[in-house]
Amino acid sequence: MSDPRPRPRAFRLDDAGVAFDGRPAAEAPRAEVRTETAPIPDKSASEPLDAGEQAIEAATGARRRWRPSLGALVWTGLGGLVSLALGLWVDDLLESLWARAHGLGWLGIGFAVLLLFGVVGLATREIAALSRQRRIAGLHADLALAHAGDDRPAARVAVARLVALYAARAETAAARAELQRVMTEIVDGRDLVEIAERALVKPLDARVRAEVAAAAKRVSLVTALSPRAVLDVLFVAAQMVRLTRRIAEIYGGRPGLLGFLKVARAIAAHLVITGGMAVGDTILQGLVGHGIAAKLSSRMGEGVLNGLLTARVGLSAMAVCRPAPFQAVKRPSVNDVAPFLFGGAKE
Amino acid sequence: MSFFENFAFEAGVMARSFGEYMRGPALRVGVTGLARSGKTVFVTSLVNNLLAHGRLPVLAAAAEGRIARAQLDPQPDDAVPRFPYEEHLAALSGPGRHWPQSTRRISQLRLRIEYARAVGWAPGPARLDLDIVDYPGEWLLDLTLLDKSYARWSNETIAQSRAPARIPLAGAWLAHLDGLDPQGRLDEERAREAAILFTEYLRAARADAYALSTLPPGRFLMPGDLEGSPALTFAPLPVEEDSEPTAGSLAAMMQRRYESYKTHIVKPFFRDHFSRLDRQIVLVDALGALNSGPTAMRDLENALTEVMRAFRAGRASALGAIFRPRVDRILFAATKADHLHHASHDRLEAILRALTAKAISRAKVVGADIDVIALASVRATREALIRHDGEQLPAIIGVPELGERIGDQVFDGAAEAAVFPGELPENPESLFDGEALALAEADNALRFVRFRPPIYPKSTAAPHIRLDRALQFLIGDRLA
Repeated sequence: MSDPRPRPRAFRLDDAGVAFDGRPAAEAPRAEVRTETAPIPDKSASEPLDAGEQAIEAATGARRRWRPSLGALVWTGLGGLVSLALGLWVDDLLESLWARAHGLGWLGIGFAVLLLFGVVGLATREIAALSRQRRIAGLHADLALAHAGDDRPAARVAVARLVALYAARAETAAARAELQRVMTEIVDGRDLVEIAERALVKPLDARVRAEVAAAAKRVSLVTALSPRAVLDVLFVAAQMVRLTRRIAEIYGGRPGLLGFLKVARAIAAHLVITGGMAVGDTILQGLVGHGIAAKLSSRMGEGVLNGLLTARVGLSAMAVCRPAPFQAVKRPSVNDVAPFLFGGAKE
Repeated sequence: MSFFENFAFEAGVMARSFGEYMRGPALRVGVTGLARSGKTVFVTSLVNNLLAHGRLPVLAAAAEGRIARAQLDPQPDDAVPRFPYEEHLAALSGPGRHWPQSTRRISQLRLRIEYARAVGWAPGPARLDLDIVDYPGEWLLDLTLLDKSYARWSNETIAQSRAPARIPLAGAWLAHLDGLDPQGRLDEERAREAAILFTEYLRAARADAYALSTLPPGRFLMPGDLEGSPALTFAPLPVEEDSEPTAGSLAAMMQRRYESYKTHIVKPFFRDHFSRLDRQIVLVDALGALNSGPTAMRDLENALTEVMRAFRAGRASALGAIFRPRVDRILFAATKADHLHHASHDRLEAILRALTAKAISRAKVVGADIDVIALASVRATREALIRHDGEQLPAIIGVPELGERIGDQVFDGAAEAAVFPGELPENPESLFDGEALALAEADNALRFVRFRPPIYPKSTAAPHIRLDRALQFLIGDRLA
């Protein structure tokens, strides 16, 4: 048989001519056998997500299944009653307007119709924004899972969804075409996810990082210069809202009010979960930086601290709004986006 | 008892029976596979691992620590033999440690798993009654007989036995067949002789070296308690397909027995056991067929396709009337994955996928989830790396059975050996090309030897490879 494959063979371990696990054997052992102790990987069960991914999933609740709870009952009931009360009130109002004068009644009906249209429009937009945000979170979770499990079919489906997400962006045309081509080739699931991340999401990362850096810089500067504490609290809050919206938009979300609240909640949860992890790098450095800055001036120290906080919020927003997990690209730290906060006055 | 207490009691009973109704009755998991595919070892190891809290990290309920305990309960069907778990476990782990006796008939075991529910309205303690039904896969092949008349089956079987690969096996029976006159007078002695020779041919084809699979009727190989009964004393005869045999002739009697085989053996099995299964695992000994050669591989593929037919919702009129299977998950598992280094498991799975591709494409109509894995119910080897002749070979270390051989190395059943069984090809299709059967060792690039069961501490469960994944697929959703 002209088979290049190696032939089957066997060696008895008590054979003197076989060196087994470093046991002394004949001068020139015929063969050497070394035990491998690594456990057999269960390739079909995906390896667990890393801590950062788990934090993001927990924060966005992408995998959370809806479960009936007493709280939901309370809110459903209350919401229904309040809606009924509002309806009753509008009805009463229109009736009394009608009783006063028919013209007033018509006017009231006109306003009610306007209100109805406005509410329906707003609700539609909010729902669309929410579902878009949820889709991005789900896509993130699916990509992470496909990457962890090296699951080729799942990765193909998820990457196709990622491509569809950016279909309306002209500047991604080349990257999308490249990905469409790669998807038809024989590429493993893990590699495919990384290729997609590099091609589509990495350029967005740069913009997001610039936004975070700019916001952190603004906040630290304004805090250092502002005459009153109330003003800089307001400014920091406004900057964080703005930053969050910008990041969500850059990554393809269009958060309205509810969508923004959802993202904000995810960011808060993410900050809480990762707070402990961050102690090691950023906070300590932050405190050191704060110490040095505070020596120069207490306002400047506060500025550094507020800038640091903004950068942390920005990074959390980045993590929960990003449609792909950080795999091919290194997860940025505060140090990466706002180095000027640590190096004294260095920019 | 006051009226109120009575009422409360009744309400409790009703609530519980309603709960049971909602939860559904016990979960019936069928374990099947052709002879020597490792059914008995699989069931034994599965029960052992659940009872003794073995390491099952992929089974979510076990990994999350939600399985409180498992115990054996009396089985629900009193007329079915009990799976002798204790005996088989003793065989595996006892002093003589050998593989337990194979499945010859249907048997059943009920396992009660107490676990904590994690989802739904009522998280908290819950119970799953798991009925494991173990039966020979050959019986599933009988399903094809239901559609076939005696004449058609005879002609097909005879034609098959005249295939070049099978001639040496079927020679004696075919010679006897030539001396028979189907329309001649009925002679019980000759009929018995024909049946015996026919059975011997089937047995020979099953033997290790050939490892052929498609050999209905299945009860000839696995007679159970019907051995010697008239329903098993028939054999194919060369008869015309559309002519009625003359009354009182040998062919007439054979035909009657063939029909009663279908009525009394095939149909009741499907009605009473098969149609009540919820989940099914089909164990496949791909390594045996690989040892033998391409013809055995193609034969195994045919057999699996036939097995799959049994799961197809009965569209064909004859089948639909008898049973309506409700199996919603089917797992094909290549057993004895421990005979290979884990680096080759992917390829083994690819081979199994190729083997079952036809079966799975047929099963689309069934509406069942289907998966394919490589597993070892009881892991008998550990892994090693051999350096030899300047090559690095991923190998396994175990105690090969007495008399097993590789090259000039014959094993005594006591010494440990490092075995490199050859490299599975990247493209599984290449394994199906060719006419070879019972390949001599020198011609085959693969050689799998059988290993003795491993030695492991009595207090722990049997070691395994991916048994937990099989469990997660089969029962994981019911332990959610």
